[in-house]
Amino acid sequence: MKKLMICVFCISFIVGFVAHAQKVPINFDKYHGFTGSESFLKAVSNAYPDITDLRVIGKSTMDRPVYVLIISNKKTGTPLDRFVQLRNPRQEPVDNVPPMTNDQAKPGHWICGSTHGNEFTGTEVCLYTINKLVTGYGSDTEITDLIDRNSFYICPIVNPDGVYNSVEKDLSQRGNSLMKDDDHDGKINEDGPDDLDGDGRITSFRYKDPKGQYIQDEVDPRIMISLGEKDKTDKQRWSVIREDKDNDGDGKRGEDSEQGFDLNRNFPEVWFDDNGYQGGTGDYPTSATEVQALAEFFSTHHNIMMAQFYHTSGGFTYRPMGVSSDVTMHPKDIAVYDLIMGKKYVEMMGDDMPKAWMYPDSIGDYKKDLEAKSGNKFAAARGYEMPRTWVVHYNEKENKRYGFGLQSDWAYQEMGIYSITTELFNYRMDLPGNTFTGDDAYTLFQHAALKYQQAKANGAWFQDWKPFKHPELGDGEIGGWYPQYQSNAFPGEILEKICETHWLYEKYRASLLPHAVVTEAKGKVVEKAGSYRIIEVTAKVENTGKLATNLTRGAELPGNRPDVVWLIGDRDNVSFIQGLAWQKAGVLDGTMSIPGFPKGKTSNEVKWLVKVRGNTPLKVVVSSMKGGTNAKDVEIN
Amino acid sequence: MWKSTREAVEMKAMNIYGIREGVRDVRDVKKEKNVKNVKKGWWGLIVWLLMLTFLAGPAVGQNKLQQSAGGYHGELDFPWSWKRYYSYAEWTQMMKEIAKKYPDLASVESIGKSQMGRDQLLITITNKKTGDHSAKTAMWVDGAIHGNEVNGINCSLYLMWYLLTRYDYDPYVFNMVNDRTFYILPGLNVDANASYVEYPNTENNPREPYRPEDDDNDGLYDEDRTEDVDGDGELSMMYAVDPKGDLKLSPDKRQFISIGDEKDYPGLRYRRIGTEGFDNDGDGQINEDDIGGPDPNRNYAYGWNLRDGNPYPMSEPCTRNAYNAMLARPNIFVSFHYHNTGRLIMFTAPQPMPQQSAQQSQRSQQEREFGQRGTVQERLAEMRKINKYAQLFDRQVASEFQHDLDVQTSIVTAGARILKDYTPTFSGLSGQAQATSYNMLGNYAYLIELWGNPTYEADLNGDNKVSDEEYMKWIDIELTGDGWINPHPFKHPDLGEIWIGGSGKKHVGRTPPSRYIETEADRNAHFVMYCVNQFPKVQVADISTTPEGDDLYWVDVTVRNESTYPTASDRSKKLERIKKDKLVISTSDKIQVISLNEKLPFNDPAQGFRNAHNPGLGKETELWLKGNDSQTFRYLIKKSGGKGWIEAEIISERGGKDKKRLTIKD
Repeated sequence: MKKLMICVFCISFIVGFVAHAQKVPINFDKYHGFTGSESFLKAVSNAYPDITDLRVIGKSTMDRPVYVLIISNKKTGTPLDRFVQLRNPRQEPVDNVPPMTNDQAKPGHWICGSTHGNEFTGTEVCLYTINKLVTGYGSDTEITDLIDRNSFYICPIVNPDGVYNSVEKDLSQRGNSLMKDDDHDGKINEDGPDDLDGDGRITSFRYKDPKGQYIQDEVDPRIMISLGEKDKTDKQRWSVIREDKDNDGDGKRGEDSEQGFDLNRNFPEVWFDDNGYQGGTGDYPTSATEVQALAEFFSTHHNIMMAQFYHTSGGFTYRPMGVSSDVTMHPKDIAVYDLIMGKKYVEMMGDDMPKAWMYPDSIGDYKKDLEAKSGNKFAAARGYEMPRTWVVHYNEKENKRYGFGLQSDWAYQEMGIYSITTELFNYRMDLPGNTFTGDDAYTLFQHAALKYQQAKANGAWFQDWKPFKHPELGDGEIGGWYPQYQSNAFPGEILEKICETHWLYEKYRASLLPHAVVTEAKGKVVEKAGSYRIIEVTAKVENTGKLATNLTRGAELPGNRPDVVWLIGDRDNVSFIQGLAWQKAGVLDGTMSIPGFPKGKTSNEVKWLVKVRGNTPLKVVVSSMKGGTNAKDVEIN
Repeated sequence: MWKSTREAVEMKAMNIYGIREGVRDVRDVKKEKNVKNVKKGWWGLIVWLLMLTFLAGPAVGQNKLQQSAGGYHGELDFPWSWKRYYSYAEWTQMMKEIAKKYPDLASVESIGKSQMGRDQLLITITNKKTGDHSAKTAMWVDGAIHGNEVNGINCSLYLMWYLLTRYDYDPYVFNMVNDRTFYILPGLNVDANASYVEYPNTENNPREPYRPEDDDNDGLYDEDRTEDVDGDGELSMMYAVDPKGDLKLSPDKRQFISIGDEKDYPGLRYRRIGTEGFDNDGDGQINEDDIGGPDPNRNYAYGWNLRDGNPYPMSEPCTRNAYNAMLARPNIFVSFHYHNTGRLIMFTAPQPMPQQSAQQSQRSQQEREFGQRGTVQERLAEMRKINKYAQLFDRQVASEFQHDLDVQTSIVTAGARILKDYTPTFSGLSGQAQATSYNMLGNYAYLIELWGNPTYEADLNGDNKVSDEEYMKWIDIELTGDGWINPHPFKHPDLGEIWIGGSGKKHVGRTPPSRYIETEADRNAHFVMYCVNQFPKVQVADISTTPEGDDLYWVDVTVRNESTYPTASDRSKKLERIKKDKLVISTSDKIQVISLNEKLPFNDPAQGFRNAHNPGLGKETELWLKGNDSQTFRYLIKKSGGKGWIEAEIISERGGKDKKRLTIKD
C-alpha cells in the first residue's frame, strides 16, 4: 500500500512536471516542411484539447490536407443558435445548417503561411505563433485573455504540395501542383526537374557557355553573378540552369513539371482584366482546391476580422490594395491600416516613420506639401508616402495595378477584413551584424551568407560545385545553394528573430479586435396582474474592444450584417408587445481614436416591452458578426 | 409514294456511306449521284449493293429504319410517361436504366455531389463505336440550375430519351449520335430540384442551392422557412381579415382581388400576409429566412458580382461541379441551359462595342448593312412579311465578333420557328452560366426560358396578355378545374384566424401542368438537335486543274463549311482555345508545289488579271472556315513525268476532316 502510494505520488509528480514543461517541444534550427508541420499540428491539438481544434479545410491536388488549427478556449463564447428557440419546423428534413461552434462566437484572427510553396518562412512563423499561444495559455495573462476572447485560425501551409516539394524534396516550387499536360503531348507531368547527381536535392547545373548570362564572382567563385542583357565582359561566361534533363526526348527540359500556378493570383478580386479576359491564374477564380478551401473557410467564418498572409521575402508588409488603388478603399480603413497598424509595424521594424503618422493633426499641411512636390497623387491624397516597411502593391507612381486576383485584396474588399501580407526576411538587414546596400548588396550578402552557413551549419546549406557530365549539355558542374536555403530566412537565430517579431506584431493586432458585450440588462415592471407582468427591458450593449465591430468597407458588404441584440425568453411565457425579438444595434465603434475621424458611438441602448408569465427568466444576447456573441441575464426590479 | 420511299432508302444508303467514309457530307454525295444521272432502275441495285457491303462490314448500322413519318420510331422501346414530374430518385434511376438499355450509346456518371450529398448525374450520348465521345464535337445541355425550374429536367430527359429510343429508326438521330456527342445534365441544382417536386412549395421556391444564408441579418441561418400550415400538400398564400385591407373575395370566391376604387367597400376586407408558414424564430416575421444561398446562375465566374453571386465565384458544389465538367470536356461547342419562365430563347451575344467607338456611328452594324433601307425595326417588319420568325438585333459589336452575332441571329431565327411563340433575346452577363460558357470557353450558349403564361390558349380578347379572368377560364376549361387552391379559413398558431388559398397549385404557374410537358419537351429537343445538325462540317468541295502551259498547272482547291456554325466562334479564337483549320496538300512523287508570293496578284488570264483566289502558299495552309463559308486556294504545280495526283485534305478541330484526290493524266 505504501509502495502504491509512492508510485501514485511519482506518477502525479511526473505528470505535473510534464504539464508545466513544453508539452510539444519545437525548435527552429531547421525547417519543418509539410511533414514536420503536420506532426506538430497533430501533437499540439492532442496535447491542448481544451483550447485547440485541428481542422482539414481542403485537400491539395496530391491529396495533402490543408490544415487550420483553431486556437480558442472552447468553454468561452456561446453562439447565438444556442439561445434562440425554434419551433414548428418545416416537415421536409433538410439539415443544411450545421450548429455554430464556440469559436465562431468570438472575433477571428487568421494567420497563414506558404501560399507560395517556396516561401515557407511564414510556415515557421505560424508554428512559432502556435507554440507561443498554447504554451502561454494559463501562465501569461495577456495570451490567456486573447485565447479566451478571440479565435485564432492558423493555417501554416496553404500550399501543401508546394511546401512538400520545396522542403522535403528540396525542389523549389512556388505554385501548387497540378495534374496537367503543360506541353500538350498527351502525357502529364512527364518532364520536371531532375536530381542529376542523385543526392536527393535539386540544385543548379552550371556550364561554360559563350552566350551565358553569368560570370563567376571574383572574390568567391562559388557565387554566380548574373549579367544584364547588355553587359559586356572579358571573363568566362556561364549558363546556370536548374538540375534538369530532357526526360521525354522532345528537345526541351522541364517543360511539363508538376508545378501548377500561382495561388496568389487565383482569388476573385479583379481576376478578369479590363476587357473581360483572364487576368489571374487558373481556369477561374478559386479554381485551385487550396484557394477554394480558404474562400470557403472565410465564407463560413464571418467572425474573421484580421488576416495575415505571410510570404517571403523583403522585410516589409503590404496592406491592400494591389489590383486597384487607394481610391477603392474607404479613407477610414486606410487610416486604421496606416496610422494604427502601419505605425506599430514601422516602429517594430525600426523604419523611418512618415511625419504625418507622428503628427496626424497636421496632415492637411503634409497633403499640401505633397501635392506640390510629389508626383504620386495617392500619396498627396493621404498626406504621406508609404514608408519602406509598410507599402501597397499598387504601383502608385505609374497608376498601374500590380496584378490580378490577390488574396489580401480579396479578404479586404469582399470579406471586410483587415488583411495584410508580410514579406518576411530581408537579406539586406537580417544577417546578424550586417547591412548591405548599393548595387552589389546581393553579392555582398552572398559572401557573408556563405561564411555564415559555414560557421553555423558547417557548410550544410550550400553544395560546393563538383564536376558533372550532363547528358545533353556536356561538361559542367553541379552545386549552389540547396533551394530551401536560397531565399528563406536561415534557420536558427535569424528565423527565430523574425518569428518573434511577427508573433508579437500579430499579438498586437489581436489586441485591437472588437468585443461586443452586454454591459447592462435591466427590467422594470410596468404592470402586474395575477398571471403576468408587463416588463420594460433596457439593455446596453457596448464594444469594449479597440476597433469598431466592422470595417467601413465591411459595413457595406452583403453578408456582413450589423450587430443585433436579442431578447430571449421561453416562447410559451413571453410575448413581445413592443420591439421585435431582435433589434439592430448597428456598428459599434471601438475605444481607440482613429486620427482624422470623429469618434462614433461605442455603445447602444435597446428597449422592449414584453408580457411575461410567471417567473420566466429573460436574457439579452448581443451578436456581432466580427465582435463576438455575449449574453447577460436580465435583472428585474 | 414510291418516290418518297426511294428517297428515304437513298438517304439511308448515303448515311452509311457517310459514316464509313468518315466525314463526307451527305448532301454532297447526293449531288454527285444526281449529276451522274443514273437510270432509276439501277438505283435499287446500287442501294442493295451498298446495303450488302454495310451488312457484311463491321460498321454500325441502323437496324430498324422507319421510312414512314407516321410509323413506329422506338418510343415504346423504353416506355416512359412524359405526362408528369419525377422525384430525384425516379429520374436518376431512369437515367441509369436507359444507359443500361443502350450501352453502346450512353454512359451515366456522377460529376460530383451537391451540398447535401446528392449525385449530379451526367449522361454522355454518342455511338461509342464510331469514336470516343471526347473526339467528337459536343453539345452540352443542363437543366434546372434553379431548383424550382424542373421542367428543364423533363426537357433534358426527353432529349436523352428521344436520341436513344429513335437511334435505330430515325436517320437524322442516327447520324447525329454517330458523329456528335451530347452531354446532358438533367438536374443541375439537385437538392432544390428534389425538394421542389417532392414537398409543398410555391412555384418560385426553392430556387437556390442549400448554402446556409442569413437573409434577415438576425445572426441565424435559414431559421425561418416556409411551411404547409394547413397540411393540404400545397404551399399557398395567407390572408388576414382586416377592415382596412385593400383586398376582397372575387364574386366566385376563388381569388382575393383588389377593392380598386371602392374605398368604402362594405363587405369583408382582407390583407395579404404572405406565403404559408410559421414564425419559427419568434421574431414576429414569417418565412423571412427561407432556405437557399446565392442565385446559382449568378455564381459563375464571368461578370460575377459579390452582391448577387456571394460568397465567391463557383462557391456552390452544384455549379462548380457542372463548370468543372464543362472544362474537362473541351470538345463542347454549344451549350444549352434550361430555365423558366417566359418562353425566351436567350443567347449570349458578343458585348456591344464600347461607347466611344459606337458613337462614331449612330447606326448599328446591321443597319449600315441594310444601307438606307430603314431602321432595324422597319427592316425587321419587312423581313417578317416573308418569314414571321425573322430576327434582327440592334447591337453594334466589334467587327471581330460580327460573325458570332450573325450566326446567333440565324440560329435563334430557326429556334423561334421550332419552339413557336418563343422570343429570341440577349441574355444577361452577371455571373451566369451561359455568359461564362460563351465568354470564357468560347461556346455558343443559350438560356431557354421554358413555358410561361399560356397566352396562346388563354387569351380571349387577343391583346396577347392573360388577365386574371382569362387565366381562371383556362384553369376551368383546359385544366378542367384542376390546379387551383380555393380560399379557406384556418386557425394559425402564431396569427390566429386567417385565410389560406386563392392561388394556383405548384405545377400550374412556372412549370407546365402535366398535359403540356411533352409538347414543350419535344419542341425543345428539336431545337437542340437543330443546333447539333448545324455543327461545322468541313469538306473539300472541289479540286480542279487549269493548264498554265509547259508542265505547269494551276490547281484550285475549294474548301467549304455549309453549316450555320463556323469551325470556331469568334470568341474562342480570341481565347485561343481552338486550333485553326488546316488545308494540307500532298502530291505524288513527280509533282511539285511551287511556292507563291502572298502579296502579288495572280497573273491569270482566265480570272481576268485579278486577285481571284487565295494563293496556295505551301503544303500546309491555316485558315478559319466561317458558317456557310467557301474558300478557294490556288496552287501552282509542276509536273515532271507522266500521270500523277494531287490530294487536298482539310482538317478542323471542330469541323472534322475531308479529303479529295485529283488524278492528272498526261
